Amino acid sequence: MLAYTIKRLGLSVVITILAITLLFLIIHMIPGDPVSTMLGPKASPELRAALEEKMGLNQPLPVQIGLFFVNMLRGDLGVDVFTNRPVSQIVFGQLPYTLALIGTAIGWSAPLGIALGCVSAVRRDSFIDRLTGILSVSVIAVPAFVVSLYSLLFFAVQLKWFPAIGAGKSGDLPDQIWHLVLPAFAIGLSWVGYIARLVRASMLEILGENHIRTARAFGLPENWITFRYALRLAILPTITVIGVGMGFLLSAAVFTEIVFSRPGLGKLVIDSITTRNYPVVMGSVLFSTLIFVASTTISDLINALADPRIRNST
Amino acid sequence: MNKPNIQWTKLPRRSFLKGASALGLAAAAGGGFSRHAFADGTTLRTRAYSDMRSLDPAFSQGVVDEEIQAPIYNKLIQYQPGREWGWQLDAAQSIEQADPTHINFTLKDTIGFTNGFGAMGAEDVKFSFERIIDPALESTNKPDWGPLSHVEVTGERTGTIVLKTPFQPLWNITLPYIAGNIVSKKAFESVGGKIDTTPVATSGPYLHKSWEPKQKTTLVRNPDWKGEAGAFDTIEIFPIDDEKAAEIAYEAGAIDFTRISLDSLERLKASPPADSTVVEFPSLFYVWVGMNLDNPKLENPKLRQAIQHAIDVPSIMQASYFSGAEPSTGIIAPGLVGHREQSMTGIAANLEKAQALLDESGESNVSLAIDVLNKSTNVTTAQILQANLAALGIALEIRLHEGATFWQLGENKDLELILNRFSMTPDPYYATSWFICEQAGVWNWERHCSEEFDKIHADAQAEADPEKRAAMYRRAQDIMEESGAYKFITHEATPDIFRNTIVPALRPDGLPLYRYFGKA
Amino acid sequence: MEQTLKTRGETAQIFHHLVRDPLGLVGLAIVSIILLSALFADQIVPYDPVALNIPDRLQGPSLTHLLGTDQLGRDTFSRMLMGGRVALQVALPTIAGAMSLGLLLGMIAGYGPRWLDNLILLFFDTIRSFPTVMFALAVVALVGPSLNTVILVIMATSIPTYGRVVRTLTLSLKSAEFITAEKALGATNSRILGVHILPNVLGPMAVIAAMDIPTIVGLEAGLSFLGMGVKPPTPSWGSLLNDGYSLIRNTPWPIIAGGLPLIITTLGFTFLGEALRDVVDPKLRGRGGKK
Repeated sequence: MLAYTIKRLGLSVVITILAITLLFLIIHMIPGDPVSTMLGPKASPELRAALEEKMGLNQPLPVQIGLFFVNMLRGDLGVDVFTNRPVSQIVFGQLPYTLALIGTAIGWSAPLGIALGCVSAVRRDSFIDRLTGILSVSVIAVPAFVVSLYSLLFFAVQLKWFPAIGAGKSGDLPDQIWHLVLPAFAIGLSWVGYIARLVRASMLEILGENHIRTARAFGLPENWITFRYALRLAILPTITVIGVGMGFLLSAAVFTEIVFSRPGLGKLVIDSITTRNYPVVMGSVLFSTLIFVASTTISDLINALADPRIRNST
Repeated sequence: MNKPNIQWTKLPRRSFLKGASALGLAAAAGGGFSRHAFADGTTLRTRAYSDMRSLDPAFSQGVVDEEIQAPIYNKLIQYQPGREWGWQLDAAQSIEQADPTHINFTLKDTIGFTNGFGAMGAEDVKFSFERIIDPALESTNKPDWGPLSHVEVTGERTGTIVLKTPFQPLWNITLPYIAGNIVSKKAFESVGGKIDTTPVATSGPYLHKSWEPKQKTTLVRNPDWKGEAGAFDTIEIFPIDDEKAAEIAYEAGAIDFTRISLDSLERLKASPPADSTVVEFPSLFYVWVGMNLDNPKLENPKLRQAIQHAIDVPSIMQASYFSGAEPSTGIIAPGLVGHREQSMTGIAANLEKAQALLDESGESNVSLAIDVLNKSTNVTTAQILQANLAALGIALEIRLHEGATFWQLGENKDLELILNRFSMTPDPYYATSWFICEQAGVWNWERHCSEEFDKIHADAQAEADPEKRAAMYRRAQDIMEESGAYKFITHEATPDIFRNTIVPALRPDGLPLYRYFGKA
Repeated sequence: MEQTLKTRGETAQIFHHLVRDPLGLVGLAIVSIILLSALFADQIVPYDPVALNIPDRLQGPSLTHLLGTDQLGRDTFSRMLMGGRVALQVALPTIAGAMSLGLLLGMIAGYGPRWLDNLILLFFDTIRSFPTVMFALAVVALVGPSLNTVILVIMATSIPTYGRVVRTLTLSLKSAEFITAEKALGATNSRILGVHILPNVLGPMAVIAAMDIPTIVGLEAGLSFLGMGVKPPTPSWGSLLNDGYSLIRNTPWPIIAGGLPLIITTLGFTFLGEALRDVVDPKLRGRGGKK
């Protein structure tokens, strides 16, 4: 296990480095620069040159990349081109909103999905099972931003049941939760179906396995068996899938944050890309990538812990 | 922000808390008000169209920063709220134009800076104005001071602004706007000469309490302010870039004042939310279709004229501006010196004339491209232009850009058509300055260059007779239109909505002057 | 899984299975309708989807305009129909490209030497480590918005999905008895890959492609929604949603018209993919859908 862990962590580090380098190259090939965005209609060539120097844009690209890594390890992600605030501070300011959104989305959809999956597996081929099956398939691939737009249109604009924009007043928790309802619903919806199917499939597989039959033979109550053994094992793939699906969740969050005008990493990325605020783009995508790499790594490790075949293979 | 404004919060925060408890007492004594209603009445919640970027007047990014700087700093004079442009005294006790290049001022003796930086003196005025023209500071707002030579300090609170040449815009856009904010010399020198987003010392009726990036800026009443006190305990300014989002926020009760979009104007006017008022103001922005004179594809003047006559401005008003804006005649809006009553190419499309001009030009199979900033109004306009030109058999490709790439297009010699929109300040000098030869390829994207135009621009800024000055600017716009490189579209409009619990103080173009906002 | 080429009879059998499964039948029907309406969009649109009619702007649904009109008086229903064409114009080349590259890289990784396998896997993982939308945004900002850009970006991000499955299948087939036997008989690598492995991975590929189409169509719509896809006046479901979002207080119809076909397309292809998978390879259960 230790060898596998070290190997897996090493791989994550390599992937992160490659991804950041690739990102850096892409961003620096983008035409349009923060200098003109920032200086506006009053820029003189001298002003431009000075600002470019300040932002390090006059250095050769490899030097810029190298410096980025060195500074990153020291926790310095540079400063916002426009306000001179440290990028790390800006990103950490927005990160909680996105994490709260993703967390709430998973928080409601995973338990519901697991419950539906369990019921479907235990009552296999019943009406509930079939209904869950069809609903699951139906919601799985509907793009989260379409759900966002529709729920904004129906529940906020037309029916006015929920607030339409923003994240709520800072310091006012009930208000913030109230503002989370629609966005978290939009992101979570497809996960209900996905997790329900996954749990159902794994439960059926486990329910067919020997040790449960044995337990049944010894006369343990049916429900107890189901939950004590099967569910525990069935939740494992759910964790894995959420870990691997983190990129998907972050992508969904980008659109949802735009649709609901919520602060967060997604909105930060879009705003900073359109203003060519390189340091902020780098910082926010870096964090998204780190979250993604970390979550896949963790889910792989959990999987390996549970399933020796994995840690012995690669 | 972990530690906001650490240097200066000590003193003001204590006073703020004192103020808050005093109010609590008053509320308890009054008894009649519910706490909730009382709290609502003492906070003004409003919206800015983007987040604040700088609290340093030398690096202010325009209206959004100014809306925050204006209540916390003072200027010699301020814009006067109302329907007509004008100014009123602020930090100046008196101010007068001694001769075309000298302006004498005397400061009030009641204005002090926070954080123990003392009374405002003529030295502070000198420092604030001269630092903006100091090449070493590289202020983005240097052009606003035009031909400023220096400020002479003649006494503790008296001084003279000395210009190299006469400069009429001084009274309209320099003193009462961004570059006119007075900062504390001692305070700024104590932090190395400039600031970012943390104010080191302020002097206005409100104090800058905190800035939560992308969330809000909070101002609180300055307890030490000796002038007419600010009406609100707190002003919260929320950056909401999207107009639609702002309207939704208003209807949800989250803000008390916002500009609204033209497509909502009719709906909100017909059935305004409870206890709300919708007001309409003209705006100074100018929108036009430009044609790059240096592009060989557009070198034929008859072709350019054909395009000028093919564009149907009334359709654009209807579809892009929801009939809430009027067609424009040039770059200078009604109410400003030099506004033209009429344009030369008319407002509605004249297809026959356009076709005749196109035939005369001898051009056929014309296909052109228009560069457009990616905003829904512009995209709608561009599609109308596309249909207008299609009627002449001209194919028009629409190229959409984000802000960062769009504002760089000027460098591109191969531009063809451009749908453009510039912001404006209340002096015609500011409008013509972007269309002189020197600006070709910078902000003059049509690369229009006329000796006569340049001369008018140079002379008119010094012309003291308003009638003559107006005639000069009218002629300048004729020259632009005659070049065939411009088709003027609109100055847009500024509809605002506010709750009847507040009394907004607005500039003639509908922008807010928060320091003068009152309670109903 | 059997080792030989699928015969004509087997294809017919798959089809037979597919239509007997209610889910498959519904999926097949929806997909056919979508394909046909996209293919014949010019013939069936009631109005020219780009023709302006400003006096009739912002109308609600009526018999003359089934889904109303937009801010330029264009018929929303006609724009919706034409939008289907854009969706498929993006989805089909993207799938074709991603599948071919995925096949190639996956087979090389699965069949080739260990170091190459590791290198390709690393490449897959790196691409996958960006949240797709953020990657797409950066690239679109780089080369400017256009359909080709969108196709290339989505293709690049989809390659790992195909490549990983092909690699796994190739790995397991590589050690299968019949392949070992072929090798012993002196078959070349290209023969083994082309004749034995390729036909066996095509089935699962088709399943993944059917499952992947909604993701791709959704991503295109998302980018066009952000103004980073099609150029105006071309109608796409995403640009309908974009128009609709800015008109959300004036009329709900453009949003409804942009979202509905996305939901229907998603359902159709997902149903079809599910049914296809049950027929082709029940072992694939649990794959597809989320990436």
